[in-house]
Amino acid sequence: MKEIMAIVRMKKTGATKKALIATGVAGFTAVKVLGRGRLVTDPKAIEECKEKLLSMGMDEFSESGDTDKIVTSFLDGSRSFPRRLFTILAHDDDVPRIIEAIANANRTEYGIGDGTIFVMPVADAVRVRTGEAGEAAIW
Amino acid sequence: MLLIRAIVRPEKKDEVLAELSSAGFNAATMVDVVGRGKQKGIKIGGMVYDEIPKTLILMVIPEDAKDKVIKMILAIAKTGTEGTFGDGKIFVSPVDEVYTISKGTRGL
Repeated sequence: MKEIMAIVRMKKTGATKKALIATGVAGFTAVKVLGRGRLVTDPKAIEECKEKLLSMGMDEFSESGDTDKIVTSFLDGSRSFPRRLFTILAHDDDVPRIIEAIANANRTEYGIGDGTIFVMPVADAVRVRTGEAGEAAIW
Repeated sequence: MLLIRAIVRPEKKDEVLAELSSAGFNAATMVDVVGRGKQKGIKIGGMVYDEIPKTLILMVIPEDAKDKVIKMILAIAKTGTEGTFGDGKIFVSPVDEVYTISKGTRGL
């Protein structure tokens, strides 16, 4: 018995749900969360985008110097963005299949911010309606 | 790898995250939660508040970083020198596998 925690883009909630149904795993729990990932350590990667954002005249609305800080935090990954956290309970054999499905549904061309999947062991599960425990309680 | 679930005061969230980020643990997920602890909530007058708002911070870290991260969260999330009821809890659970979706690779 495993618990799969998948953090995905808000926009990809529908795609993830569809992918799960196609895999034969309909049950899940989802929460809105805020999150951030690895820092972008290469300054060249954000340089171009940063100039573009800075040239949009955001100085009119905030103190100068502040804008630079906001834009940098926006691009280098130190700021949190909204994401959806899926929790799925699964049999051991189904785990690779589910991971494959979630990963395929969520991959984008941006190369960063697509999310992470964690797989954790679960000690026990009980279905409230029938009281059955263990593997039978998953689905 | 280990999953750290830290329940902290909402006002301490930014401070904890900034400190963790500067120590190289940037990746984290935050959820706003409500809950109560051993003290059965707060009693003010005749009213009992047992849904106290907290922030749940989820982090997956390598096993050897556990002590460092926990020590850091404990130091910052504590209020007062002795600590007060409601400062929160930290839970640690094992994680079997981690996948990064964008790169399609296994591992943190």
